[in-house]
Amino acid sequence: MMNLSSRASSSIPSLNMVEDFSYTDEELIARFQEGDEQAYVELVNRYRDRLMSFIYRFVNDMEKAEDLVQDTLMKLYTHRSYYRNIAKFSTWIYTIAGNLAKTELRRKKRHKVTNLSQMGFEEQEYQLPSVEPETGETAQSHYAEKQIQNAIQELPLHFRTVVILRDIQELSYEEISKIVDVPLGTVKSRINRARLQLQHSLKDFR
Amino acid sequence: MDRYQFEDLVSDYIENNISMSQRKQVEAYLEENPEAKQKVESVKQVMASMKSMPGVSTSAGFMNNLNKRIAAEKEASSVVKTARSFTGYTPLMASLSAVVVVAVIMLGFEFMPEGSSQATLSPTMAEQQLDDLPEMPAQTQDNMLAESEDDSTEYDSDVPVKSNFNDRIQLVGDKRP
Repeated sequence: MMNLSSRASSSIPSLNMVEDFSYTDEELIARFQEGDEQAYVELVNRYRDRLMSFIYRFVNDMEKAEDLVQDTLMKLYTHRSYYRNIAKFSTWIYTIAGNLAKTELRRKKRHKVTNLSQMGFEEQEYQLPSVEPETGETAQSHYAEKQIQNAIQELPLHFRTVVILRDIQELSYEEISKIVDVPLGTVKSRINRARLQLQHSLKDFR
Repeated sequence: MDRYQFEDLVSDYIENNISMSQRKQVEAYLEENPEAKQKVESVKQVMASMKSMPGVSTSAGFMNNLNKRIAAEKEASSVVKTARSFTGYTPLMASLSAVVVVAVIMLGFEFMPEGSSQATLSPTMAEQQLDDLPEMPAQTQDNMLAESEDDSTEYDSDVPVKSNFNDRIQLVGDKRP
């Protein structure tokens, strides 16, 4: 097991350093709180793609999703002392990401300015067809993904959050309950309703 | 079981989170309603499709941008620290200075010579000064009270004092000289 503290104290580490750690998330955030920035790098590497996937499915805008992932990880950097070891680290970071994504969607709804640059990459490709021809299977898969993504966007926010966390991020009901801060029964009910709505939206597609 | 009860249990049925009796009820309902059976299959497909959706990765420049933001954040926080200590007093230094000043003032009072100020007369010292006074005989004290011209008891009387203002007030039309 590596000694993170000694390595961090020698110099400010580069955030591009990617190394294998066997620490839990909670151990890493504890080390980061003590000033070990290499632990922060490891947390970033563990979570950036997971958060990207969650936020992109939520806001349906690739550039905006990446900005929000950066905002989430900046909050982790600046507000590290706010984390208390009473909840799982993943719960905490998903809560931050979810709140930022919801705030962004509300802001977007208020301004409602639509232009090509604000669309997700699938939409851009839809508007501007790729020069390279897609094979039949790839095109089918791409189309199916787009249909599901569009159906997710039709869900109300409180349904959308929980169904993404459950069926795409594969989190437990208990953890989702903590992230969205609603009772377990309500979470189960919302996920069930969201699935039924998705099934209804995708009925014609199938 | 009706349609609404069935729909409430669809996910629990698929994920096997219901009791055996509820499962039997759902299965009986599915046998009677082929479209409900079709719905369960569709929901299963939706769940499987969502699970198999490709993961989305951050761009190649993600870490570089994050590095830049962190560097900017560090710089900003160091500027704030510099601004705080611009006059040469950080919050910690100011607090320590205040403590030292208060301590010096308190020590000054402690070592101030006796009698230099009334404020330094402690209760013990006051009692000692009273003891030093010559004792007055009790008889003398009674006499002093008796000889006093002002008798406070006459002001404390409950009987209202009737004043005659007839000689002092002259009403309009009063012919008195």
